[in-house]
Amino acid sequence: MNSKTLFYILKRILLAILTVWIVITVTFFVMHAVPGGPFMSEKAITASAQKALEAKYGLDKPLLEQYGTYLKDIVTKFDFGPSLKQRGRVVVDIIMDGMKTSVKLGVIAAVIAGVLGIVLGAVAALRRNKLIDKIIMVVTTAFVSMPSFIIGSLLLVIFTIQVPIFPANGALKGGLVLPIITLSLYPMAYITRLTRSSMLDVLGQDYIRTAKAKGVSGPKIIFGHALKNSLIPVITYFGPMLAYIVTGSLVVERIFAVPGIGKAFVKSITDRDYPMIMGTTIILAILIVIMNLVSDILYKIVDPRINLE
Amino acid sequence: MKKLFALLLALVMVFSLIACGSQSGEGGNEGEGGNEGEGGKTGEPSSIAVCLASEPDTIDPALNSAVDGATLIAHLFSGLAKWAQDDSGKLVIVADAAKELVEGVENPDGTVTYTYTLRDGLKWSDGKDVTAQDFEFAWKRAASEELGADYGYMFEVVDGYNEGNLNVKAIDEKTLEVTLYNAVSYWNELLAFPTYFPVREDVVANESWATDPSTYICNGAYTMTGWDHNSVITLEKNPNYVDADQILMDKIEFYLSDDENNMVANFKNGTWLLIDGVPTNEMATLKADYPDEFKVAGQIGTYYVCWNINEDILPADSGLTGVEAEMARAEIRNAISLLFDRNYIVEEIGQAGQVPASSFVAMGMTNPDGTEFYQTAGHNDGFAGYYNVDKSAIESNFNQAIEVLKKYYNYDEATGKFTNFPSMTYLYNTSEGHKAIGEYLQAQLSLVGISMELQNQEWNTFLQTRKNGDYSIARNGWLADYSDPICFLDMWTTGSGNNDVQFGKGAHADAKCYNLDLTDLGYDIKVENGSWAETYDVLIKTIKTCTDNNVRYELMHRAEDLLMSTGCICPLYFYTDTYMISKTVHGFFSNPLGYKYFMYCTVDK
Repeated sequence: MNSKTLFYILKRILLAILTVWIVITVTFFVMHAVPGGPFMSEKAITASAQKALEAKYGLDKPLLEQYGTYLKDIVTKFDFGPSLKQRGRVVVDIIMDGMKTSVKLGVIAAVIAGVLGIVLGAVAALRRNKLIDKIIMVVTTAFVSMPSFIIGSLLLVIFTIQVPIFPANGALKGGLVLPIITLSLYPMAYITRLTRSSMLDVLGQDYIRTAKAKGVSGPKIIFGHALKNSLIPVITYFGPMLAYIVTGSLVVERIFAVPGIGKAFVKSITDRDYPMIMGTTIILAILIVIMNLVSDILYKIVDPRINLE
Repeated sequence: MKKLFALLLALVMVFSLIACGSQSGEGGNEGEGGNEGEGGKTGEPSSIAVCLASEPDTIDPALNSAVDGATLIAHLFSGLAKWAQDDSGKLVIVADAAKELVEGVENPDGTVTYTYTLRDGLKWSDGKDVTAQDFEFAWKRAASEELGADYGYMFEVVDGYNEGNLNVKAIDEKTLEVTLYNAVSYWNELLAFPTYFPVREDVVANESWATDPSTYICNGAYTMTGWDHNSVITLEKNPNYVDADQILMDKIEFYLSDDENNMVANFKNGTWLLIDGVPTNEMATLKADYPDEFKVAGQIGTYYVCWNINEDILPADSGLTGVEAEMARAEIRNAISLLFDRNYIVEEIGQAGQVPASSFVAMGMTNPDGTEFYQTAGHNDGFAGYYNVDKSAIESNFNQAIEVLKKYYNYDEATGKFTNFPSMTYLYNTSEGHKAIGEYLQAQLSLVGISMELQNQEWNTFLQTRKNGDYSIARNGWLADYSDPICFLDMWTTGSGNNDVQFGKGAHADAKCYNLDLTDLGYDIKVENGSWAETYDVLIKTIKTCTDNNVRYELMHRAEDLLMSTGCICPLYFYTDTYMISKTVHGFFSNPLGYKYFMYCTVDK
């Protein structure tokens, strides 16, 4: 890695911090501008009790001051504050609880999607227009077009009720298998198609023809030359996809009763649980920023021709 | 070649991961099954897995305001009184931590003092004694403004509440003395309400005590032995509970999920033996497929539509102002209530056995003589409530409404439509069910030429908008906190935080068009052409200080009469609680507030 690359990474990290700061600022002010509040309830509490609570959590102070305090606590103490709705719990604990499951779910699903997608895509490309290619293309088209709530519901009915080999609850042992499958099908299908088209493109390149002409063996051409280069688009897709799976699994979480972060995120907004909204948004923003950064750097490593500037 | 090998290896690893997952899954299921159904007879611990709702916001007895939280707390804590089933299966309130539920002694100033003696052998789950001081502390804490509990107002009957200093004191370790402003018939029920359960000062000093099993010290039939957040809360029998020998179920697992389709899946495959939620679109199928498991229980609550009283719905050229205009609007609103067929809403949209409502105070409240409050509401002959909701009356109701509306609006006889009714907006919180009802109301109104737009808002925004009165008509609903009609009536006083209609606020503050005559009941109260504050507020205050139960109920009926005369409340149906429970479960019961009790359950093998 040369100094230019290091400089680039440093610059990207600074940009990432700026991005997160903008996310914090926008979220903070937008969230306070939305009508309603954390102590709003169908059974209204008295005005004075509401005042007491607001004072307790510092919500009675001017917004700018609240913003300043919040930023200071985050930067100096990494303190996200207490949840306003789940009284007695701090935001970090709630997020960690959810992330534990979501990250596990997301990483396993992403690995499955990546490995299977690349293999199937390569197979389809190498057997272009053969029966296997057509089967793969039909199946992946189906998975790409079916939304996860349909696949999830189908799997739920088939494998937890009709042939109950898995529990219908993410909290039970083996309960994560179906959500993982549901989550991985779309990216797997997408990666398959991506790999196939990119591989076909690469296989038509001059250097492959040269290699063939020089008598390099079939597997060596494929794994030594073609596959690596055809993975470039896959890598760019992989980072954001991982972040998406970890954070965007709300639907799947609901269908299979998985205790993930998605539900906490949505609930925090309905509850106007300000510190929770901020906490989840920041964590998710950081996750996405890091994933993008990693995939850009990988991009550079796989293809040194790419000019990062 | 090396790379190919690595790739294959990775694939094998991934598949073995899946395979492992499924194997351990099956193992887990077997473990579940093995635990169930012993009923405590063979010495093997009995257990039951159920699902009521998602993760509770809190299970601090003082802070909780949710029904599922209350169910958990009723298993974990023991107050002075509790809900129980008598031998005939009837629900009753009986003494729990108190030796007996004593009668109050009236003081010269009209206040009433109750002196309770605690039973011997009451222990906290960590072995310490439960004392009267714990009750005194817990009540004062729950009512305090610093805590800001949703249910702080449950103590409003206790002397000193208005001054912020509850008149409750521990005379000694075993004796608790509490004074009420005046006797209320639902006092014993309040004692069985979670907000009235004891907590210990040193325990709750830790602000996060109620979030972790290790710090959750309780005094009820169970202790919390596990809380896997967003997954499951596990309760196990508390050996320190004074009546531990009567508790039949050793272990209860409360799974935390609120997706109704997921609940049904877990019920169908036998993982959960009770689920407290059924998807509306599957209701009919489930009812047919599981006739013995599908249950509809009464729930004291009313689904209704509320008007903003300050919304002007008269035509621009009506020429009516002030009191006359207010009276006209009341008549119009009441007429519009007659345009809706509540049977259609219940049967086609609700589908959960709800009961068409013709009054605001919900079904399930009883008069002192044991008759249903709603049956005697409205004082009408031939039907209960303020209008006839029987199917046979739909047409006559409709025609009656048209006749009334004709007095104020231009009616085109040829098309059967009104031509100058101002257009309105119906506000509801985002939900398929509320939307379907909104669309039905919209369709009914458009039959007579009234255009009503539908507007949905996200829950928290909706609450704020409705509370501020920034709407013309809105969806609304109210569930009782205790079995006394006053909890449906005192929310409509001018200063109440739940006064969504805006009674006595804005322009309505000056509308002097209400009458109140209580002289026949022995009160020196007679108001003619009074404002809302001079009539309704006075009436509610009178109810709250009335000690003669028969008079009190008559007053409450009159309050509802006055409320309904404004036409601002258009009841649609009385809520029900639908749940599914496995046939293998015996000894289960639930109370009218929807709390579910599993401690006396046994499960067949």
